[in-house]
Amino acid sequence: MSAGEKYHEEEVLGKAYDARLMKRLLTYIRPYRRAVAAAVVLMLIGSVFQISFAFFTQIAIDDYIAAGDQPGLMRLALMFLLAVALGFAASYAQLYITAWLGQKVLHDIRMQVFSHLQKLRLSYFDRNPVGRLVTRVTSDVNVLNEMFSSGVVTVIGDLFMLALIVAALFYYNWRLALITFLVLPLLVGATFLFRAKVRKVYREVRTRIARLNAFVQEHIGGMKLVQLFVREKRTCEKFDKINQDLKAVHHRGIYYYAVFFPAVEIISALSLALLLYYGGAKINEATLTFGELVAFIHLVERFYRPIRDLSEKYNILQASMASSERIFALLDTEPGKTEGGSVDDFKGRISFENVWFAYNDEEWVLRDVSFTVEPGEKVAIVGATGAGKTSLMSLLYRFYDYQKGAIKIDGLELPKWSQQALRSHLGLVLQDVFVFTGDFAGNVRLRDETISDETVRQALRRVGFDRFLKDHPDGIHTVVQERGATLSTGQKQLLSFARALAFDPDVLILDEATSSVDTETELLIQKALDELLKDRTSIVIAHRLSTIEKADKIIVLHHGEVRQIGKHTDLVTKPGIYRTLYEMQYQKPFSQDKATVRR
Amino acid sequence: MNNEATTPTNIFSTVTKYLRVYRHYLIACGICIVLSNALMLLIPYVTKIVFDLLERQGTDKERFNWVLILVGLAVLSGIFRFLTRRTVIWMSRCVEYDLRGEIFAHLLRLSPSYYDKSRTGDIMARMTNDLEAVRMMIGPGIMHFTSTVVTFVVAMSFMIYLSPRLTLYSLGPMILFPLVANRVGNMVHRRAMRIQDHFSAITASVQENITGIRVVKAYRQEENEVEHFRGLSRKYFDLNMDMARLYAAMVPLLFMLASLLILTALYFGGLEVMSGSVPLGTLVAFFAYLSMLIWPAIALGWVVSLYQRGKASLERINKVLATEPEIVNGASGTYKEKMKGRIEFRDLNFQYNGTRVLHHINLVIEPGRSVGLVGRTGSGKTTLVSLLARLYPVERGQLFIDGVDINDWDIPTLRRQIGFATQEPFLFSESIADNIRFGVGDASDEIVREAAATAALSKDVENFTDGFETVVGERGITLSGGQKQRTAIARAILTDPAVLVLDDATSAVDTETEDEINRRISDVLKGRTSIIISHRVSSVKNTDLILYLEDGRIVEQGSHEELIVLGGRYHDLHRSQLLAAQLESL
Repeated sequence: MSAGEKYHEEEVLGKAYDARLMKRLLTYIRPYRRAVAAAVVLMLIGSVFQISFAFFTQIAIDDYIAAGDQPGLMRLALMFLLAVALGFAASYAQLYITAWLGQKVLHDIRMQVFSHLQKLRLSYFDRNPVGRLVTRVTSDVNVLNEMFSSGVVTVIGDLFMLALIVAALFYYNWRLALITFLVLPLLVGATFLFRAKVRKVYREVRTRIARLNAFVQEHIGGMKLVQLFVREKRTCEKFDKINQDLKAVHHRGIYYYAVFFPAVEIISALSLALLLYYGGAKINEATLTFGELVAFIHLVERFYRPIRDLSEKYNILQASMASSERIFALLDTEPGKTEGGSVDDFKGRISFENVWFAYNDEEWVLRDVSFTVEPGEKVAIVGATGAGKTSLMSLLYRFYDYQKGAIKIDGLELPKWSQQALRSHLGLVLQDVFVFTGDFAGNVRLRDETISDETVRQALRRVGFDRFLKDHPDGIHTVVQERGATLSTGQKQLLSFARALAFDPDVLILDEATSSVDTETELLIQKALDELLKDRTSIVIAHRLSTIEKADKIIVLHHGEVRQIGKHTDLVTKPGIYRTLYEMQYQKPFSQDKATVRR
Repeated sequence: MNNEATTPTNIFSTVTKYLRVYRHYLIACGICIVLSNALMLLIPYVTKIVFDLLERQGTDKERFNWVLILVGLAVLSGIFRFLTRRTVIWMSRCVEYDLRGEIFAHLLRLSPSYYDKSRTGDIMARMTNDLEAVRMMIGPGIMHFTSTVVTFVVAMSFMIYLSPRLTLYSLGPMILFPLVANRVGNMVHRRAMRIQDHFSAITASVQENITGIRVVKAYRQEENEVEHFRGLSRKYFDLNMDMARLYAAMVPLLFMLASLLILTALYFGGLEVMSGSVPLGTLVAFFAYLSMLIWPAIALGWVVSLYQRGKASLERINKVLATEPEIVNGASGTYKEKMKGRIEFRDLNFQYNGTRVLHHINLVIEPGRSVGLVGRTGSGKTTLVSLLARLYPVERGQLFIDGVDINDWDIPTLRRQIGFATQEPFLFSESIADNIRFGVGDASDEIVREAAATAALSKDVENFTDGFETVVGERGITLSGGQKQRTAIARAILTDPAVLVLDDATSAVDTETEDEINRRISDVLKGRTSIIISHRVSSVKNTDLILYLEDGRIVEQGSHEELIVLGGRYHDLHRSQLLAAQLESL
């Protein structure tokens, strides 16, 4: 991640043109170079037909109208008609291919960004707000559209076009052409000046817009506070200042555009004047025909058009550079390692050997943690909030990598496992149940189409969810509202249990939810848990007394260290962390002696 | 959003009121557009004169004069074109500024319930994209529209003047222009809507994928997610191509029509020249006017789309502006006295989004007393205190401060005299000093320092490079949760409130510092009514009255000792916290 990401992202402005970025962007076009070529050729054909009317007019005036050849004029008119039709066809095909090209490349980039995102480590998602990542896949990619569709092709096309016009002008009369281009230095100068000025203003505008947006966003977030502290008036005044700053820089920018466009028109009028004066002299000398002069005027007019569009193309370029820089930063983020081996006969023996882990630097969350889980064993992990239970789970699932020690599954160290193989043996049930939009079935099988409706139904039945399905005529295909808004906490938990059952893992890792549910649901959940843990190796971050009591082994974590290991009946009789925890959570002193409680 | 009122009958009234203010700009712009276009359109006429000169073998001197006039016309036209932008685009930026200010001022008036329901991104979109679309409509939109109309009228007049018959010939294809532009424009609009909808669907899907990335990874759904996304992206591609099929036709079609125009003029004009009824120079000038009509005709399509987009955006903006604030100073909101701090809840019930959040709250807090509120997350503690500042509507006769119904208080007076420090304090990206003096803008540095000292924040601030001037937030330093909370406490104290509410305001502060705050704050609390919400028994045990809330009901109340003797929920909470403390030391 670049350092720039820490700041408000819109304030990071890429260069107006960055050769390195451009080169990389162009690689996306490479697979479609034939389409690019076709579009350029078609564009040229279209342009030739478009400017052909200058020739037709010239020929019509000189050869037919002046000569009074009526049938000839008719023939010419028909040819003109044909040219118009062909011109339309060529332009249409070109624009269509260009759009196709742009959308195709966008689709490719979108897929690449999204696929890459799926491979990134969890720590990347911790660091980046969801909204920012969504923007990368959606809006940032879309910004590139214009550059890929119209941009590349029109720039090539425009260049060809300009060359073509210049060639035509010289073909007609090279002396007159040279005279016409006398004003060219003026034009180039004006363009350069304009570009330099506009670039500066554009940057200034972007910064001030970013400042304004940041202000608004922040104050929408803190609106309650503004109102509580009766700050409306002062906030409004502050906003007005920022708003005015933006208006001022916009107003400054208007001058450049307001000067540039008329300047180009004056310059083109100047070249027309030159044409008329010197061209007129040539006609008088009879070295130029009327028709040729008319054609000249049309061609020169056509010459100025791409130059007038320049400012627009410049904005497209600048926006593309900024977006692509952000997209590439994401694509350049190293994904987590996923390749590795597996074991032939999976047993599910898990061992932690002196594991140390910290999210940042040396702030150890787990210290020297060692324990083993034998195949078929049910292990409960208990500890106060912040003891490191969830981190321990995350390590096992390789959401994060530990710094010291080793975690082995069936003797193979975690980093040597292929992620695919590892996760196919392990199942994970998280504390916060994430409900996807879609139906019940979709929330059980997720997007794994190999899991049949029947398996889904069976899983739901086994966790006792079927009783809730009865009320819904659509059964497992009942649509769930956004984020499961209509489901109770208990129902969501059951749904996540069914999810785990449907995937049927060898080892189940489960983070029990702490939120309270009514007694009836509690019984349901306990039954479902029994069903889920049956005949399976399991590690449960346990909050339920019933779960802890049924565990083969309890591991007591305290401040990131393993402090006690044993069975409930043993641990609870000894004074220590487990007993204190137990008394704390279940509100009844284990022993009758209240002295321990009263300090 | 259900409290979005119906939009006004004339959706344009939002901008027309500003256009009226800037009418001098509009008039000036109109004059400039007419002049610049008229002058520009004289150029082909001058060209015609030059051609006529050439035909009758005029002198170089004569031609030179006309060419000079031509350049002069171009320069004059350029000046007016400059003035056009300077007036109309200038004005559009002014209207944008005014409208943005109006929206923001309105946002400041909207009640918290509006923000609970709306997404920030949505409001932002209205203030950025939609506002820009409206500006495009009134700036470039008006400019190009007027320009197009003027060009049409003037060019057409010249053409009629040059040759009424030729004009008639070329009129035929011309009437197709607006028809085609309008027809295609509508089709484009429909497709654009479909693309926009699908884009929203993609955004929602990506958002869900990222939010649920743990589940995706846990169940190895990465590949399937990619495949699913491919489907979405593919459909987006198809929809865009649907659009492209149409869009690709638009400009070439208009260009083809324009060429047909020239073709008819060329053929029939040629016949006229041959018959001798029209001089050649006239035909050439006629062509020049015709070609001048082509681009405005094509631009018309663009202007139409500017208008359509601007109108849709204006509607979205109007929806925000038409949303009535839920809580306003009513006609009875006139009580502006100094607050003594007597709070009385009289069988208060409160409902939010259709669910009852508070039930039958009966409570009297005498001025200067302290009250502790405990209970699980979601039991209604924060809601209860929010009502004191009238952040949410309260029915009459249920909540009284100093014996005055809360609805009769002048809202600013009420809020100014109640200080709040919340669990997740919101700090603005300004300096620490400015954050502390948030409620009293002109508070001196001295007072800020004092408040910071009371909140046990001074030592932390000393360690920052710029002291109190250190900027917090994205562009400055990141404060720890505890530091943020202490800043919020200082901010609340500084307003010198009659009622001080500390809503779990020290949850992220370590016990030692909390003790320090408690010691220092006790002086500040003297003479003030205080309400302290906490999860920690230690924070509330010294208050005069402790309430235990459960599911929006007061289930236990009394002093610390009384509640301990009672042996209920508060007692259990106390005991488990003692055990937790014990656990820490193990």
